[in-house]
Amino acid sequence: MLKSTYKPSSALPPPLPPGWSEHKAPTGHTYYYNDSTKESTYHRPGAQVPPTSQPPQPSNPHASFSQYSSVPKLSDPAAANAFLAQYDPARQRPAQSFGQHGRGGYRGPGDGRDRPRPQPVDKPKSKVPIPGCEPWILVYTKYGRRFAYNPAKNASYWRMPEKIMQGVLELDINGIKDKASGAQADGKEKPGTTGPEAKDAAEVEEAEEQVELGSDYEEVEVTDDEDEEHEGGEAEGDDQHPSKRQRTEDPAEAMAAEFNEDDIADQLRAMGEDYGLDPGEYDDGNPDAWPEGAEGLPFSDADARELFKDLLNDYGTNPYSPWEKLIEEGRVFDDARYTVLSTMKARKDVWEEWSRERIHILKEQRAKEEKKDPRIPYMALLQQKASPKLYWPEFKRKYRKEGPMRDTSLNDRDREKWYREYINRLKQPQDALKKDLMALLREMPARALNNKVLLESLPSQMLADVRYISLDPKTRDPLVEAYIQTLGPPPEEAEAEEDEASRKAREDRRKREKALEERERSVAEEKRRQRRQLEHGKAALREEERELERAMQVGKKGLQSQLMAAQEKSGEVLVTSP
Amino acid sequence: MPAIRSLGSAARGAKKPPAGFEDIRDDLEVFGIKMKDAQNAPTNNVPKHQAQWPVFQVAHQRSRYVYELYYDKEAISRPLYEWLLKNGYADAMLIAKWKKQGYEKLCCLRCIQTKETNFQSTCICRVPKAQLKDEQDVQCVSCGCRGCASSD
Repeated sequence: MLKSTYKPSSALPPPLPPGWSEHKAPTGHTYYYNDSTKESTYHRPGAQVPPTSQPPQPSNPHASFSQYSSVPKLSDPAAANAFLAQYDPARQRPAQSFGQHGRGGYRGPGDGRDRPRPQPVDKPKSKVPIPGCEPWILVYTKYGRRFAYNPAKNASYWRMPEKIMQGVLELDINGIKDKASGAQADGKEKPGTTGPEAKDAAEVEEAEEQVELGSDYEEVEVTDDEDEEHEGGEAEGDDQHPSKRQRTEDPAEAMAAEFNEDDIADQLRAMGEDYGLDPGEYDDGNPDAWPEGAEGLPFSDADARELFKDLLNDYGTNPYSPWEKLIEEGRVFDDARYTVLSTMKARKDVWEEWSRERIHILKEQRAKEEKKDPRIPYMALLQQKASPKLYWPEFKRKYRKEGPMRDTSLNDRDREKWYREYINRLKQPQDALKKDLMALLREMPARALNNKVLLESLPSQMLADVRYISLDPKTRDPLVEAYIQTLGPPPEEAEAEEDEASRKAREDRRKREKALEERERSVAEEKRRQRRQLEHGKAALREEERELERAMQVGKKGLQSQLMAAQEKSGEVLVTSP
Repeated sequence: MPAIRSLGSAARGAKKPPAGFEDIRDDLEVFGIKMKDAQNAPTNNVPKHQAQWPVFQVAHQRSRYVYELYYDKEAISRPLYEWLLKNGYADAMLIAKWKKQGYEKLCCLRCIQTKETNFQSTCICRVPKAQLKDEQDVQCVSCGCRGCASSD
């Protein structure tokens, strides 16, 4: 954390003595070059002039590092101070005037000598025994921070322990008083500086009140931290390092001193919002002021799941993407809803459920959507982007990310064909194009194009035609509109369609009836045949019965005569046979 | 001699993907990039047996992605799934194992190939965490898996 809080000076430096100019080495270091003496140095010449203060450059590398590297641990005073310094609205002004001393043009002599300087390290600089709390001592570091140190226990704390708080406060108040009296004696002071001091004192008193609330005293330190930045940087430039007490007279102090408890609370809230935290998740010291329900209402499981799903919806997550992608992107981590589920497993479960639902919904939507001709967007793209200056491979490469160029339902070969066709048409004279367009319009069937059709809802068949897009919309649209107005009303489309449908139905029905008739006929025939067979059988039976009856009715005589007849017959046969 | 195909002509010659491919194309491209990175990463200062771990990892992730899309979420159609398998976006043999009980989380096929080991056993990563002695954190030699038993 020590390095992250360090901010090198970006205070507006004093103007350079004549002959000197400021340059940036390729490594990013600033150096100074004297044109007349051909001398170059890292140390700013003429820095003995007391520096005027300027808010630090927000773009300084360390600050930005600390800004992005981690979520601030607000319990760490140094980190908190650094963050407060960054979020101070008064400091958001970039140090524009920094480069006014002829930076730029000449970057010559930074050849081999410039190599990155070692990272500045904060070191203890001076120590003050804390009155009434022996053996504790207050140690000031090179960059103006301070910590409490107990040589007996060999323990040191950035955050002032409760028991020595009183002593430190006393020390500070004494220091302020000393300084105030010294300043009056000095007489060189600007009249405006008494204000900030009064404020400083007020702030200390405020801090004293805060002690009871358990807020930490370090907040008073904001002032020290503020000027430490430019002080620390200045220390590099010149070795004259004014003591801490004198530093308070800087106008920078005046601005920093206006930073009071309310501001800090506001900053904390703002930062909390930036990081998606509820006030309950960081401790801003006054639980009464939290918005309602910030302590965290107990969520039911279903609520938590729904919240997490909302989160996924809100971030526009692709339901087809793998879970790892969501985690790797890490955008959702900052959202408060991410934490409603406590385990990664639960989150993944909910994500799976969500993606399944979402994919299902998407599928249904797509099924509902009518099939659009994929050529239409491609043609629109051609009209927008194609130009005779681009060959097809160039065009393809340039717009390969566009949707119509990636659409798999179109073939690359077709795309190329249409592109070439379009480019060729662009070279033709307007009259020819107009003629072609009219031809296209005349080709359209009355059902697709009639005087009820609006310009916005032209038939897709037309939109996907090269002849339609090859004219500029400005000249094309009036033409199309005029043509549409000359057309007749739409044919009885609905009726015709119904006719067709009913005709089809009727035909079907007729077919069915025909089939039924045929079947009935065949069945009837079968029945008739069966009846005939039956009757035939019955007739045959009756015949037999009659014969039998006849045979039974034959008398004795009849029998004799019969026999006789039979004998005659056989005799004849015998006679004839030999 | 077969014609040498450039990337463009290969794409033209290849059968175009079935519908629904647009939904997953970007993610598959990301996997493709990851795979390329894993393949091209220098292996000068990694142990020899670890050189291929990232490749195995990406292959596993991509196969898993396709597998889940088709079997779990039913987000892609069968023709698309088969097209993906045919075009090497997923390892069909590995997916075949995942469908079997006890192999739901299998990391790679080499880890169940008992014939390649000295004691005719599977890889250490197939051993359930509960049965491992003294909570050791192992990474298997073949693919760097930290444990892929179904019970873990």
